[in-house]
Amino acid sequence: MNLHPRLKWVPITFLALVLASILGFLYIKTRGYDSSRYYETVALLRQLKQLDAHWELDVFRSRMGIDTSYDSLVDPLDSLTQLWQQLQRIVADQPANDRGPLLRISDAYHRAVEEKTRLIEHFKSHNAVLHNSLAFLPTAADDVEKSIIRNPTGGNLPAASLKVGVRRTLLNSLIYSQVPTEDQASDIQRDLTELSREAGEMPQPVRDSMDIFCAHVQTVLREQPAVNALLNSIAAVPTASHLDEFDSRIAEGQRDADSLMQKYRRDLLIFAAGLAGLLLYAAIKLIRSHAIIQRVNHELVAANESLEQRVQERTRQLRETQSELVATARQAGMAEIATNVLHNVGNVLNSVNVSANLISTRMRESKIPRLADAARLITDHSHDLAQFLTRDERGKNFPGYFDMIATALNAERTALVEEIQHLTKGVDHIRDIVAMQQSLAGAACLVEPVQVGDLLEDALRMNAASVARRQVTVSRDCSDVPTVLLDKHLILQILVNLIANALQAMDSVVDRAHELTLKAQARSGEEGPRLCIEVEDTGEGISSDNLPRLFTHGFTTRMSGHGFGLHSCALAARAMGGRIAAQSLGIGQGATFTLDLPLNAAPAPALANL
Amino acid sequence: MKYGPLIALLSLYGFLGLSRWSAAAPLNEPIKPLPALANQDPARVVLGRQLFHDPRLSANGRVSCASCHRADHGGADAGVRSVGFAGQATGVNAPTVLNAALNFRQFWNGRADTLEQQVNMVIQNPVEMGSVWADVVRKVSQDENYGRAFKAAYPEGVTPGTIQNAIASYERTLLTPNSRFDRYLRGDSNAISTTEKAGYLKFKQYGCIACHQGVNVGGNMFQKFGVMGDYFASRGESTEADLGRYLVTREPADEHVFKVPSLRNVALTAPYFHDGSAKTLDAAVDVMFRYQLGRVAAPEDKAAIIQFLNTLTGDLEGKL
Repeated sequence: MNLHPRLKWVPITFLALVLASILGFLYIKTRGYDSSRYYETVALLRQLKQLDAHWELDVFRSRMGIDTSYDSLVDPLDSLTQLWQQLQRIVADQPANDRGPLLRISDAYHRAVEEKTRLIEHFKSHNAVLHNSLAFLPTAADDVEKSIIRNPTGGNLPAASLKVGVRRTLLNSLIYSQVPTEDQASDIQRDLTELSREAGEMPQPVRDSMDIFCAHVQTVLREQPAVNALLNSIAAVPTASHLDEFDSRIAEGQRDADSLMQKYRRDLLIFAAGLAGLLLYAAIKLIRSHAIIQRVNHELVAANESLEQRVQERTRQLRETQSELVATARQAGMAEIATNVLHNVGNVLNSVNVSANLISTRMRESKIPRLADAARLITDHSHDLAQFLTRDERGKNFPGYFDMIATALNAERTALVEEIQHLTKGVDHIRDIVAMQQSLAGAACLVEPVQVGDLLEDALRMNAASVARRQVTVSRDCSDVPTVLLDKHLILQILVNLIANALQAMDSVVDRAHELTLKAQARSGEEGPRLCIEVEDTGEGISSDNLPRLFTHGFTTRMSGHGFGLHSCALAARAMGGRIAAQSLGIGQGATFTLDLPLNAAPAPALANL
Repeated sequence: MKYGPLIALLSLYGFLGLSRWSAAAPLNEPIKPLPALANQDPARVVLGRQLFHDPRLSANGRVSCASCHRADHGGADAGVRSVGFAGQATGVNAPTVLNAALNFRQFWNGRADTLEQQVNMVIQNPVEMGSVWADVVRKVSQDENYGRAFKAAYPEGVTPGTIQNAIASYERTLLTPNSRFDRYLRGDSNAISTTEKAGYLKFKQYGCIACHQGVNVGGNMFQKFGVMGDYFASRGESTEADLGRYLVTREPADEHVFKVPSLRNVALTAPYFHDGSAKTLDAAVDVMFRYQLGRVAAPEDKAAIIQFLNTLTGDLEGKL
């Protein structure tokens, strides 16, 4: 996969998120189901069922006369209502799809309870009446007998028959109360009719007591089936079955929820197993990667070591090459220096040569042979010297002649001395150039206080022969330039070069005056006080194409030039912290070279010391 | 004779135990003594008591609950019918509010399952109080004292439900314990006289006990008025209220069926029956014998029964 390293994280993060959310979902699903509510409901249903059963049992206890108060049939009502309300709340809490059927069942149950309550109310009413009448029947029968005894009639037979009839009816009624049958009821009914007829012949008190007795027997006959029917109805009310239905429905829901949860648990397990597998896979991958990394690492270390050796080897070779280069460069440098020195020495030798030539010419034209001629004449005339000096025509001229020779020789000597001085100066300059080259090799500059005007004169004089030959008019302007601290020989070298160049530039010019202007002035620039020396000529000028290349090594426009002069000037100027610039309006317009140097004014006391 | 002393000791213990039991153990009778006071929120009870005596619950501010359930008349009304807020006579004789909490239903025909429902029905009854709840709530809310008390007693403040509950809470405290008969039932055999004991025996023998049983001596079942004879035919002037429970269930079998009233404090609550037709206890017992038991009682038995009924009067302790 050629993905960006950062983009590589996107699918991994996405995958991690998906896995985490699946895990969270399954976890919530397995936790979300709360079975305690189910057991709560089951407990509630049990409670309701138990209450219902107790209620029913209490009805029978009341029927049997074991319970003598109906409080036990009333007390469950509140509890039943409360528990039913709880059931309703539980139904409301059920999931929507379970709620409908459960609501239907609980409503049916509630209706059944209401029906049961209604039946029990009726039961209480009827049971009370039945019990009373049954309890009273023997007393009522006794009352009939007592009233018969208290109110004797004519014949004993009807009274005895009545008594027997009452007894039989009492017995039948009591039996009927235990085992109510239709036949028994009709028998009793028949007996009652007979008794009423028989009692009709009895006195009033007996009839009254008979009426009471009969009324209660009738009540028993009426209430007994009613109570039994009510009991059957009460037992038939399907409260318990509704509760069972509710229970099974809830249990079904519980089973479903349980199996669903089991499913989720299984899913969770499978998912966890999957995750574990993934983890194992990742671990194996990791171990493998680790081995690979380890191996690659070893290889890298090995490669590194060999590389280091190679680097050392290369370094050594490089060092050798470098030292060779240095040696070559030194030779080249030495050659350059030699060229430089030779060039400068050549310049000066020019002037020395001129002086030597001059001396030689002078000596050739010397008046000394004339003196020798005069001396020979004197020697020839030594015998008559006085005669000769006074009489001879030539002798007479001797004093004047000697005087003239003396004057000539004197002048000659003066000129020679002067020329020899120039010669000596030139030799000194050569010596200085050589010394300077030696000192340059040691990168030392000899700085001394210099008069710029003197420098310009020296430079001009070194080119004096050229100046004279080319009929150049030289003008100078170096007023108000103070004594400055400079390396005299460097600047002299530059000036000699520049003047030589300017003079040469004017060789080819024939149509106008040859003028060389030397200007020196102190000015303050941005870089502090500067000394500017301009060498201006009216020569052939410089084309604008050549201007930028002027100071490069080996550039020249002359057939005999070697392109070294201006280059060495620029180097020298740079050595002094200055620069050389050339301006020209073009071919035939002349040129101006400007030497721009930092001006270090020589302190006045130092000047006084010189 | 090794165990002689031990047996003697056991017999002595048994004798003491038995005598103690026979002296104070509660009797197992169809009638039960009143329970200890129901545990009610005192703040709500105080509030209910104020409301019970407050005529502002009626439409025109003329009648309160206490107007008909009179403290000086055993919690019932002295008149045959009570007089509603507009001067109209109510349908039935006002039953007592005392021990009403122990009745399984409220009203003569049992149309209310709870005291709260009973309060609700009376306040809105066009004859009795004639109010609408919105007015009642407004009037009660306007009273600063009520406002504060309701805030303290109920988080939801003044609502129809809280007014009903406050009054019902108060009524649940209106039990009359410590009647002489209850003391007898709890084991104090000297609490009632011999005649009264005999009256109780007759009460049971004649079958009164069949309906008037349980803790409230009635109040836990319905019964047809005139089981053994047509009471209403004899009395005449049939009213709608005479239909009794039929008005609630519309079942023909429930015609003339009424809630069996409690006999506690019966000596204080004349006149008797839903129609207030019996002015005295004597007359009421006569009607019961004739139409409910279908028999004639000996005068001395009736007198004893009436004496027994007088022992059912308990202490209200000035609660009403």
